[in-house]
Amino acid sequence: MNNTPKLVGTLLTAALLLWTPLHQLSLAQTSHGADVAVVVNADTPVNDLSLSEVRKVFLGERQYWNAKLPVVLLIRAPVARERDVVLRVIYQMSETQFKQYWVAKIFRAEITSPPKIVYSNDMQYELVSAMPGAIAFVDARNVHPGVKVVRVDGMLPGDKGYPLR
Amino acid sequence: MYRPLLAIPVFLFAASVAHGQGATAPDQTEQIKALVERVELLEKQVAELKADRVTALSSPVTAVPAPGNLAPEGQPLAKPAVQVHEHESQIPQETARQLETHYPSLQIRGFGDADFASTDQKGTNSGFYLGQLDLHIASALSSKISYFAEITLNAHPNEYTIEVERSIIRYDYDDFFKLSFGRFHTPIGYWNTAFHHGAWLETTVDRPFMVKVGGTFTPLHLVGALAEGHIPSGGLGLQYNVGIGNGRGELIGRPGDSGDNNNNRAWVVKVFSRPAKAYGLEVGGSVYRDKITLPTGPEYREWITSAYLTWTKGAPEFLAEFDNVNHRNILTNANANSDAFYAQFAYRLPWFEKSWKPYYRFEYTHMPLSEQVFTYQPQEESIVGIRYDISNFTCFKLEYRFLNSQPPRPGHPFEPAVNGVFFQTAFTF
Repeated sequence: MNNTPKLVGTLLTAALLLWTPLHQLSLAQTSHGADVAVVVNADTPVNDLSLSEVRKVFLGERQYWNAKLPVVLLIRAPVARERDVVLRVIYQMSETQFKQYWVAKIFRAEITSPPKIVYSNDMQYELVSAMPGAIAFVDARNVHPGVKVVRVDGMLPGDKGYPLR
Repeated sequence: MYRPLLAIPVFLFAASVAHGQGATAPDQTEQIKALVERVELLEKQVAELKADRVTALSSPVTAVPAPGNLAPEGQPLAKPAVQVHEHESQIPQETARQLETHYPSLQIRGFGDADFASTDQKGTNSGFYLGQLDLHIASALSSKISYFAEITLNAHPNEYTIEVERSIIRYDYDDFFKLSFGRFHTPIGYWNTAFHHGAWLETTVDRPFMVKVGGTFTPLHLVGALAEGHIPSGGLGLQYNVGIGNGRGELIGRPGDSGDNNNNRAWVVKVFSRPAKAYGLEVGGSVYRDKITLPTGPEYREWITSAYLTWTKGAPEFLAEFDNVNHRNILTNANANSDAFYAQFAYRLPWFEKSWKPYYRFEYTHMPLSEQVFTYQPQEESIVGIRYDISNFTCFKLEYRFLNSQPPRPGHPFEPAVNGVFFQTAFTF
């Protein structure tokens, strides 16, 4: 019985020694590059959104553009720069938090499915063009015809103070 | 005496082993990055090849056939180029069709947890136990109709019981009006509708007393109808829930699944705000009204008023909720007010891939001696613990609890304070 505190201490030290070298400090992910444009299907009745409205849409809070047109969220797969910008500026979440957020959202019966994941810019353009109500983030240097670029806080990509970069 | 402390090294050891399992994550990220770059390069090449092909087919030089291969008169040479365009226009449609939601689109997810508890409460044994095994079903039946269900399997000493926690059919008109029917978690306060029965979603090992599974302080479920949606309010981000249902059953912890036990419907109204300028903040309040008919005969009017404030960004995370439950005996007009609140603070540490989250919760439950509907359970509890996310969908939690029962009612024995250490691994699959 008298040896118990010593045993606990030894076990704690051993566990800490085992655990500490396995961890490394995570480096803050910063992305520098061109602005990221918010694009929607050409028929979507929206031209200008505030940053908080964009956030509301991408958080799944706003699910309808109007009573007849549901929002279809498209998000690039991990490691794409557009996704980094979206997670940092819009969601303000890590990759883990982002995944957990959507699990919780479905579990709360607020939505039935998470955003659709797209694996390339071309696929993203094709989907935005083809799917009514679709919204996505694309590299502003390479905006294709057939989609509509939405102003964010009254600004377009390239404007001074544009928030998505 | 030191037995609960043994859980600490066990937790740390498990965390280190689990982290070791994820040590290859940076390699995988590099591989994914390389693959994505390769896909983009290939797409670029495909686009160039397509452009070259179109140019070649529509070019006057290549469109002129060799003398021996002249096309029959009247057959347009440009036809192949037109065919290429048709084929190209089909690609986005096919891709879109593949990603379109098909109805019904059934999605099943599960939540589970395995636990260890050790307390110094007399008459209890330390040991492992299984938490609720929770299955969640979400299915879009059309673009505006969805079905959700939550079913739990609960371990008991001699058996497992199955409980339909939620079964909801919902019709969406737009963001401002959604109407559901079925069995809900009653929209009183925050916790009950934020975490449901998913232990993995909760920062702590267990729920606060006021919303404890199997508890009675607030009615956790409502069988009936619920309207919900946004309230046009600009940056305030107001939303509402209005529900009507059977209310508490003969067993006041249950909602009257097979019918009401009186002719009075319960109703609930909840209004909350998620302000645009304070992303992560939610403030809300609710009112619940019911008539309780106990099996022994007495009837009571019940008013539950609730308010909460939460900040859920993770660093910090703050949850605070207050409930007042008023019971008035319809026959004698005798009143009793019971109150409960909790405040929970957590902070996701910025190091170690943000996987550690220490937390503290204080909760307090007051019940007057005149309370006749509830079993007398006044108490205050402090919880301190840490959560470690092993992966995106699995976590460990280690928690110390100090439970102090308030001075007992005359005739009831004094209950000493209880210390306990709890360990949990919770996951979603």
